[in-house]
Amino acid sequence: MALLGYDLFLARKSLRRNPGLTLLVVVGIALGIAVSTTFAAVRHAFQTDPIPEKSSMLHSVRLDSWDPAAPHPDRVGVPPQVTYRDMVEIMKSKIPVRQSGMFKTNLYVFPADKAQNPFEEMARVCYRDFFAMFGAPFAYGGTWDEKADGGEPVVVLSEPMNQKLFGGVNSVGKTVRLRDRDFKVVGVLAKWMPNLRFYDLTQNYIGEPENLYIPFGLLRPMELQLAGNNDGWGPNTGTGFEGYLASESTWIQMWVELPNAQAVAAYKSFLDAYATEQKKIGRFQRPLNNKVTPLLEYMADREVTPRAVKSLFAVSLLFLAVCAVNLIGLLLGKFLARSGETSVRRALGASRKDVFLQHLVECQLVSAVGGVVGVLLALGALSGINAWLKSQTGRGDLFALDLPMLLVALALTAGAGLVSGLYPAWRACQLAPAVHLRIG
Amino acid sequence: MLKMTGIRKVYRTDLVETHALDDVTLDVKAGEFVAVMGRSGSGKTTFLNVAGLLDTFDGGTYTLDGMDVSRLSDATMSRTRNEKIGFIFQSFNLIPDLDVFDNVDLPLRYRRMTAKERKERILSAVEKVGLSSRLHHLPSQLSGGQQQRVAIARVLAGDPRLILADEPTGNLDTLMAREVMELLLKINEQGATIVMVTHTPECAARAQRAIHLLDGRVVDGDSHFGHLRSVPTGALAAAI
Repeated sequence: MALLGYDLFLARKSLRRNPGLTLLVVVGIALGIAVSTTFAAVRHAFQTDPIPEKSSMLHSVRLDSWDPAAPHPDRVGVPPQVTYRDMVEIMKSKIPVRQSGMFKTNLYVFPADKAQNPFEEMARVCYRDFFAMFGAPFAYGGTWDEKADGGEPVVVLSEPMNQKLFGGVNSVGKTVRLRDRDFKVVGVLAKWMPNLRFYDLTQNYIGEPENLYIPFGLLRPMELQLAGNNDGWGPNTGTGFEGYLASESTWIQMWVELPNAQAVAAYKSFLDAYATEQKKIGRFQRPLNNKVTPLLEYMADREVTPRAVKSLFAVSLLFLAVCAVNLIGLLLGKFLARSGETSVRRALGASRKDVFLQHLVECQLVSAVGGVVGVLLALGALSGINAWLKSQTGRGDLFALDLPMLLVALALTAGAGLVSGLYPAWRACQLAPAVHLRIG
Repeated sequence: MLKMTGIRKVYRTDLVETHALDDVTLDVKAGEFVAVMGRSGSGKTTFLNVAGLLDTFDGGTYTLDGMDVSRLSDATMSRTRNEKIGFIFQSFNLIPDLDVFDNVDLPLRYRRMTAKERKERILSAVEKVGLSSRLHHLPSQLSGGQQQRVAIARVLAGDPRLILADEPTGNLDTLMAREVMELLLKINEQGATIVMVTHTPECAARAQRAIHLLDGRVVDGDSHFGHLRSVPTGALAAAI
């Protein structure tokens, strides 16, 4: 370590000595770092824990109410959503600290300001626990009361929607007309932008959270239509909207907050008992296979990180490795070309270790320069991907180089420097000074 | 200071075995100035490499400043070279993109000295060889004689017990050769032991004694020239 400053001084001199070669090495490392860091950041966006303070307590609930003739095609063999009738029954459990069934629907919004045209907006239909469960912060007011879960016309607005309808002022107590009735604003969310819409991983989970939240109890009186996935089997036994609600169609995401392992076990027993009970009336004919799955495990089950992203990340690492390996030859040639100088250093007291570290520092310095350029290129690439994503989903901030990703870039840069520099540095330190020194 | 007994060095290929040093026995006392002479291929280079711990040997014993250097680790050998031995080469061997200051600094860096101590030693050494005004010149901006003086300053800064000089005047014109020889003599008078490989009898004549190598063997280790160490005159002066 005592020679680190000196080694850096020598490395700078050496890099300036062959600017063309230095540029070639920098470009090689920069391309490798740019590609690998870009795909590392993309992968990271999908794999980051969206709510680390309580992700272990949030559990997705899945019931195997599926067709006795064949398992559900989902990779775990259980439908990712539950039927309305099952949701109503399991919501009666007192085991979870919080719980909510939910789905999304489209509603027309009629602004009080007549200068604004009505517009269609996605709304989440849920229970009052939704906000506390998923960490949605309030700027004004709060969630609705328990009685309103039964179907009172109250609404929670997102920050952008409050801005749009009320100019961002505290709108609690004001009225907004949704479809055919007036809703009283009970709460306005503060800025809330989880990296994914993790509470509904059934489709289009890359996107901003919904702008309207209304009580689940409004489902029947408003005959709210599902705007998400509907997955069912068997014919409807009833007709119309009530027939749909009584069917085996699964379309409701069910979440519970369970504080510990005992609560999870108790809740799992409760679900199994419920399914066993249902078997008596001819439902749940498949073997018991109910799932109470913590959030991160559920994200893995749902393959939230697209396979293409995983593959591209692996390929990008391979690309970086190829870049680094290609540089071995360049650096080896460069180091061996100055074997005379190395031998002078050895003669004047540099040990093999000193020579090895001197050359390794040079590799790391050139790699660091390449890494900085690579990170700048990755920022540009991510900006391009975000722009494309915004055109597809409306969200343009999903991929970013945050601190963990910068550390990844740093590690990749150091790794590339080591891969490309270890062998040339080792060869340099193994030079026999007596052979390369011009004496005699 | 330098004591070799029965030193052997053999280079082997599949077909040929070359005895570069064959039973070399030599004792150089502290403060001596010894010239090593011999024709090309006589083993002078191998001798210098072994003496400077730049190469291993196959047999015999070598004691440097009281330390058996037969089986030293690379780190110890490097430290010994750094602290006890100074090299002066025929082709100077300065680092081309380091200026005079940084070239003289080189051995001190590997001694892990403080910046202050290094600077003091460098300035003092460069002043002794008369190049204070060239401190930030690159080797390419100096004459051959000046470059060799930088190499000598590099040795002086390290203050070694033993100086191994390889044809130190070989690449210099007469005037510069004389300056360099005078410097070496001065250094020797101040206590350093010098072993100098040379082709020229006139340079060897300025050493206290000379040894002759032939086919890797010491054939004459007792030529004393102490009487010639005074300032040379006539043909000798012209040659140096």
